[in-house]
Amino acid sequence: MLHVENIEKYYGSRNNVTKALDRISFDVAKGEFISIMGASGSGKTTLLNCISTIDTVSAGRILLDGENIAELSDRQLARFRRERLGFVFQDFNLLDTLTLEENIGLALTINHADPQTVKTKVREAAEQLGIQETLDKFPYQVSGGQKQRAACARAMVAGQSLILADEPTGALDSGASKNLLEIMTRMNRDMGATILMVTHDAYSASYASRVLFLKDGRLFNELIRADRTRPVFYHEILDVLALLGGDISDVI
Amino acid sequence: MTLSKLSLRNARRQARDYLVYFVTIIMAAALVYAFNGLVFSRELRRLGTMMDSLPLVIVLTSIVVVCIVGWLVQYTTAFMLARRSRELGTYILIGLEHRQVAGLFFLENLAVGTAALALGTVLGNLLFQALRAVTLSLFHVPYVFGFSFSLKAVGLTLFYFALIYLFALFRCHRRIQSMKICGLIAYDRQNEREVIRKKRGRQKIFIASILSGLIGTLLLLLRHLPAGILGAALIIFFLYGFFISFSSGVPSYFEKRPEKKYKNGVLLIFRTLSAKLATMGVVMATISLLFTATLISEGSGMLFNALFQSRSEQTTCYDLFIASSSLEEDHFEDYLAYIDRNISVRESMRYDIYQGEDQQVTDHIGAAADYWSCFDYDTLMKASDYAALRSMLGYPEISLGPGQYRVHCMPYLAKILKEYSLPLSVNRHTLAPAGVSTESFTQSLWDGNGRGFILVVPDEVLVSCPVSHSIYAAMTDEPVSAGQFQALCQIRDEKDTAGGSYDTLFSKAAAEAESASMYAVIVFPLYYLALVLTMVAATILTIQQLSESDRYRRQFELLRKLGMDRREMKQVLFRQFAIFYIMPALPPLFIGIPFILSLGGAFDPGTLSGPAHLLMTTGSALGSFFSIYLVYILTAYASLKRNVLPEPYG
Repeated sequence: MLHVENIEKYYGSRNNVTKALDRISFDVAKGEFISIMGASGSGKTTLLNCISTIDTVSAGRILLDGENIAELSDRQLARFRRERLGFVFQDFNLLDTLTLEENIGLALTINHADPQTVKTKVREAAEQLGIQETLDKFPYQVSGGQKQRAACARAMVAGQSLILADEPTGALDSGASKNLLEIMTRMNRDMGATILMVTHDAYSASYASRVLFLKDGRLFNELIRADRTRPVFYHEILDVLALLGGDISDVI
Repeated sequence: MTLSKLSLRNARRQARDYLVYFVTIIMAAALVYAFNGLVFSRELRRLGTMMDSLPLVIVLTSIVVVCIVGWLVQYTTAFMLARRSRELGTYILIGLEHRQVAGLFFLENLAVGTAALALGTVLGNLLFQALRAVTLSLFHVPYVFGFSFSLKAVGLTLFYFALIYLFALFRCHRRIQSMKICGLIAYDRQNEREVIRKKRGRQKIFIASILSGLIGTLLLLLRHLPAGILGAALIIFFLYGFFISFSSGVPSYFEKRPEKKYKNGVLLIFRTLSAKLATMGVVMATISLLFTATLISEGSGMLFNALFQSRSEQTTCYDLFIASSSLEEDHFEDYLAYIDRNISVRESMRYDIYQGEDQQVTDHIGAAADYWSCFDYDTLMKASDYAALRSMLGYPEISLGPGQYRVHCMPYLAKILKEYSLPLSVNRHTLAPAGVSTESFTQSLWDGNGRGFILVVPDEVLVSCPVSHSIYAAMTDEPVSAGQFQALCQIRDEKDTAGGSYDTLFSKAAAEAESASMYAVIVFPLYYLALVLTMVAATILTIQQLSESDRYRRQFELLRKLGMDRREMKQVLFRQFAIFYIMPALPPLFIGIPFILSLGGAFDPGTLSGPAHLLMTTGSALGSFFSIYLVYILTAYASLKRNVLPEPYG
């Protein structure tokens, strides 16, 4: 579904170049749940931004369903984002002035969905994520976990094929994090959502079916969960992180 | 860093954030200073006898202006306090005392106010020169630039602004003192609730407000003082009732109609506006009230301007005019003796106005136009007198054939008289109409060249007609001075006490001076008020919009990530913006336009040359209001677009 090929990303001027991404390649199959891990500054968010078309790559190419996103015009990019991608951000990024229902419905409105069906679709998505009771509340009136579930609902309500999550549990307590990760697993398993999650938390990453490790902008390692239980996978991730060096205190 | 340095730095940043507010305060200070200059200018007060009342009128207007600017300052400081509550809360959190934070806020606002006042005074000096030039030109006194710095005007301006700022800051001081840290920190994230929650209550208030708006406007149109005051009160109720019930009703309207809410950009627009429901209703109503007052002041100012202009034009076309209904041959002798001795006359004439046999033309006009007649006969003039008068006034020559009569009338009667085609019978002569002239001809009062019109007939027709009144008219080399006119009036008064009839005396210079004084005393303050009202109202709208830039930017940044087109984002922003600026301007149009039209209709017939003149005056009032409003709108929109949708974004 997603094909990332030799992408590079540089920042800065001619005299002072920072290489944020260095020849990264990987594939994501439809229905996969992938985690990208790495310490702060390893290039995780830059990679996600490039895939989500918010940022552009300096070299290499990204194909989504065979389409090279670098070749799309501004309008096509906007259309691509609203039809194909769903976003879940660390700080939720819900609009304070909209209720949770309206925040979720916003994705449908932007996609020019039939206004008659918006409410029904939002209710369905909210029920699947267990936030139907809080739909008429404003973001500042609900908990972080509920906000993030609303963000997940917004990311999938318009039938988006790839959900990009940037540190989704970063602002949640452990209970709310666990709850959210289970919901994301359900979204992946039961609803067929393809999820690409950036995190530096090994516990969150252990919910994925595959984990990519980044270090200094390069792909350092890859772990596949296969039939292992989640706790076993979690410990394997910790082992790789130990190999990454220096950042162990940063990741648990 | 000391507290005062922090204050100064904040004040500088604040001036950048609230540039529009800062500019408006400078302009307000400049206007207040310039008009205070008029209050203390002896030169201008000496221009006319009526100019003595100018200081009082200006001071009274300034008090209204101070109240309005005071509201702006109070509103903006309270608004800044709310916007910066998180920052101020952080100061308290890190150990500053409430008193110190209040002092910090006080100091930086005082710094902004002082800077605005200083700049305003400098600009005000230039503005005063402009006002001085206009006033002098009204009185035909040559203008010479003289940079005058009136300490008294500065003092009075300072006094007004000290009152404004101390009141506003005292209120903020008290609010900061009583605030809790958590309240300060969470203040800016919450949405406001509807003011009136119950639907039935909302509907009742909405209907009552619309009704009171209609009744209030009708009462204003009656032009009766007690009814006008009641009308104004009803209009105030209408504006507040309408905006508060309307803004409270919007969320429930969309709640019940999700299909409308989720259509295009409606959701975003409606939620952005409804997030500030409580203040929005009140602010919109207040702005609308200010705009209504602006339109009424501006329209009245323009109509009075037209009135004074037409009055000075219509009062007399001669430099000196004396009319008397006395038929004594030597009635004008006393006047002429004085004139010969004291006034250099270029050309003069004595002539009579005659009584017609009937009042067929007067009746025709009375039936077709707004006209009050003064005579129970049509007034007539000899063709030879008419030709001589035209030549004296420098009007083109017009010949009258035998058996013809010509009409000379005020412009507003021209159409009716052109349509009049009946023959005129005088002394067994039957005369046919030969056309209409409308140059200025001293016809607005009863003993001029007819009242509104005169019929010019061949000399021989009037041989045995009775005289209505006699006139002495003169064109002079120099305008008749106030002293000379006074002396002539004294001669008239002495004649009057001797038991004769009361003569009418006009001098063009005196009429113009009177109009100029009335203009300065009535039109200046109305424009002054209108200008300040528009600026204050538009500033509050602009501050509201621009201070939301950050919130809008975050919102549009998210929308961009979610895949909204830039074109669609622009549309949403524009619609949001347009609703915000159009809403408060609509009710004033429905109240202001009928008021201006009705006030124009109340003037003496002939003051305005016709419906087109009235519509043009109304259009000018609207035009000048919207041109200032548009400057604020365009500035705000350009700035908002630059902040919220910066160009590089795709």
